[in-house]
Amino acid sequence: MKRIRISRCGTRFPLLLALPRPTCRYTAIHRNTTPHNHRIQTRLQSGVAFADSYSSGPPSTEISPLTKTPLEALPSPHPSPAATSAKLSALRARLSLPPRFPLQTLARALIHPSADSNPAFNNASLSILGSNLLGYYTTEHLLCNYPRLPMSVVFAAQYAYIGPKALTTIASEWGIEAAAEPGGEVDPGLLQFKRLRSGDSLPDVLQNRKPRKWNITTTHKILTSDEFGSAMQRKEAQESQAQPVPLEEAAQSFVRALIGSLHLHLGRPFVKRFYRDHFLSRHLDIDKLFDFRTPTRDLSRLCAREGFEAPVARLISETGRRSRHPVFVVGVFSGKDQLGEGSGASLDEARVRAAAAALKGWYLYKPLEVTVPSSMEGEIDQSKWKPNVVDCGEVIV
Amino acid sequence: MPLSAVRTVAKAQNGVGAFILQCKRLDFHYCDWAGSSRGMKAFIKTSLPKFANQHPQIEITVSPRPRKHPVIIGHYINGRTKAVCVRNMTNEGVREKAKLLRDASGERLKRANKPVTSLNESVRGIWSPFHGARVKV
Repeated sequence: MKRIRISRCGTRFPLLLALPRPTCRYTAIHRNTTPHNHRIQTRLQSGVAFADSYSSGPPSTEISPLTKTPLEALPSPHPSPAATSAKLSALRARLSLPPRFPLQTLARALIHPSADSNPAFNNASLSILGSNLLGYYTTEHLLCNYPRLPMSVVFAAQYAYIGPKALTTIASEWGIEAAAEPGGEVDPGLLQFKRLRSGDSLPDVLQNRKPRKWNITTTHKILTSDEFGSAMQRKEAQESQAQPVPLEEAAQSFVRALIGSLHLHLGRPFVKRFYRDHFLSRHLDIDKLFDFRTPTRDLSRLCAREGFEAPVARLISETGRRSRHPVFVVGVFSGKDQLGEGSGASLDEARVRAAAAALKGWYLYKPLEVTVPSSMEGEIDQSKWKPNVVDCGEVIV
Repeated sequence: MPLSAVRTVAKAQNGVGAFILQCKRLDFHYCDWAGSSRGMKAFIKTSLPKFANQHPQIEITVSPRPRKHPVIIGHYINGRTKAVCVRNMTNEGVREKAKLLRDASGERLKRANKPVTSLNESVRGIWSPFHGARVKV
């Protein structure tokens, strides 16, 4: 689980106004020229463009003679045609975003760094913010609602809600279409990224790297790994620029960047609602995520830890013991309390299933009233806060 | 490791939480010359602006297709398309077909022969002979 870096995310300000953005070379050129002078048509050199885009003062005189840059020279669509793009406004309406969310930002969220390496025009920064927010909201939902969940199951549940595969699926369910090739002349409503050609191997930065340490403990995963507890580490995203990526990578970055831009433009309550509607509303059976190795041993350790009587498996009923299809129903009892029940084709199978059912009953405990920490952000009235259950953790065998 | 976890992906339930209209684009094609496009042209002139206004989530394109019957093509989120030929139809008929394409999910038409389809397990569970009132033989 990655630690959250959202110290500055609490405030809400429009992205376009607040960030000191370097000027786009397309607008910079148009601003300084007479519109009807088509005599001098020189191709823009990228070095000049970068020098211009990072200088906050007026553009240098060297580029002023340039009259017209063809749209194809831009690496990604210019922000101005976004306002009239039918695809973008349809996407905004499909996601039920309010009209005050600017289409230009939506268009920027669709530009992957592989298409446009200029950080002022791609979605890298928005995507970092969005991924932190997604991780934060998912983690607090899981930890507050299921305080006794073992750490590996928490990681798997995070992966199921906001993992790379889940985000790719969500993007395709939102009807995101990808451009065949990024460029300034492409419709801004298409996902802009440089495609990995089929058959080519993944770029180095996307391939999972082996960690330096070989013994990865759960604590290590919580502290240093990502929010899914992966043992392998990836390189930093900065190095992945201008390298072809698969469609999945670009689609994930769009979903994360959209969350980030929603946070900046529409504020925290809206993002929380959006997150609840589009992410938490998805169906996930957490009890199907458990994969026990030796549930009977775990259960006896758990009973010893909690001070219950040692668990005893007793046969509740059976049929066809000497037939081809015997069925045994076995219950696990601690004293007079039945902890779990399971049925199986052999006595052992039924006993193991009963122990697993008892363990799931313990681990999947859900408090009735839950207030997640983010619901108290910006609240003046703190009396609504109810402290959450903190469990001592899973059984250590 | 006493316990490991299975990695899956949470399943979408469209309409629980957010609802996303499955039709993402409607293409309207007509012919300026032929008579079979008369209703389609009337629809484009009179009803289409209102229809587009009511459904901002659908991208609408209108383009002539000379010497062909008029057709509405719907593009869906699952990647499929559905085309309906609207030759010789009136304005109202074309509108009905546009609504049909708007409401379609893009899936092939299937017979639903179960009253309920759900991701959730049955609350009552599978019937078991060992539970509940015993049957005396």
